[in-house]
Amino acid sequence: MKTFDVAGATLSLALFADVTNSKELLDLMQAGTLEPEVAFLNASLIPDVFPVLAAAYKTHIAKSRESLTTRTLHSELVYNYSGSKHISESLKRCGISDSTSYILVARFGASADEMAVIKGLIKGTEIGLEELATRADQSQIQKQYKISALELGISSVSDAITCRIAARDAL
Amino acid sequence: MEIKLDGVEGSLVLIKQGAEARVLESTFVGRRSIVKERFSKKYRHPSLDSKLTIKRLNAEARCMTKARKLGVSTPVLYAVDALLHTLTFEFVEGQAVKDILLDFGSQGIVEERLNDIATQIGDAIGKLHDGGLIHGDLTTSNMLIRSGTNQLVLIDFGLSFTSTLPEDKAVDLYVLERALLSMHSSCGNVMDKILAAYRKSSKQWSSTLNKLAQVRQRGRKRTMVG
Repeated sequence: MKTFDVAGATLSLALFADVTNSKELLDLMQAGTLEPEVAFLNASLIPDVFPVLAAAYKTHIAKSRESLTTRTLHSELVYNYSGSKHISESLKRCGISDSTSYILVARFGASADEMAVIKGLIKGTEIGLEELATRADQSQIQKQYKISALELGISSVSDAITCRIAARDAL
Repeated sequence: MEIKLDGVEGSLVLIKQGAEARVLESTFVGRRSIVKERFSKKYRHPSLDSKLTIKRLNAEARCMTKARKLGVSTPVLYAVDALLHTLTFEFVEGQAVKDILLDFGSQGIVEERLNDIATQIGDAIGKLHDGGLIHGDLTTSNMLIRSGTNQLVLIDFGLSFTSTLPEDKAVDLYVLERALLSMHSSCGNVMDKILAAYRKSSKQWSSTLNKLAQVRQRGRKRTMVG
């Protein structure tokens, strides 16, 4: 687990592989009974923490202006990470499904106790965030974010995603 | 286990102030960044002012990311704030082409380096133009050479727009030609090298260069007589 500073708030991230109870987690989250509230991200689409932090920055700013587009702070993070304006598609693709086994968990302003509770909820192995780079699914990322080979000639995948997250509302 | 990344978050250092915007240095979730803030013009009606500012802010963000999709390097966009009228992007470490060419003028030309830079410029503009993107302010101070990789990075898309007209492309090149002539005449004919690379990079080079010949005759603005 690592905690990052995002515009004065903190964002705690933990990465899990071989998760077996994603259906349970998804049900809890959709019922709104997940305590504490967290964001579950499909980690295959995340090559680096930086785009997640950029999405978190955007989320935090929207929250502080009371202008969230989605219902909760943490669903907003998933939605922002998608770089798309389609909320339900975003949550489907960048969030988790019944069968997701590789998950990045994120929570704003988490205490140590809360993170311990979260770790207890997830049946899987926690691994270091540096594993993101090697475990990311390049072809899935390129499809989701529509990144061409031409663009990859001058940019890393992580930078390309960051640009899409930042520019979404300008399009 | 907490990692404090934003030691200087919020500290903004003014780098440049122009007529439309100021450019500041800051940090963005742990990375060095540049903030470009478009300020309000007090002589405009407030609602018009805010509309124009946001329109231009979004246009700049769009054009910058479009350039990347066309394979032309620009700073990575980190955030767009429609309320504060700011764009936050990557801090590119490196010298402006303007300064490199001025150094060539005073300390002698490094032929190989000059050729590399001119080729990259021509290639980049060709890619933009074929993708229907006009930079609008091609001067050597809006081009950076990234240290380490020597990659050309185009900045300031504040005057950019999309167009496929040879006229707009020719004027884009003409602006650069004038800038080179007035600033860097001691570097020899850099424009010829740039145009040679442009010809290789752009599939539509012929109509653009024909138009450029016409634009040279009359200047950047079309005469609106009659």
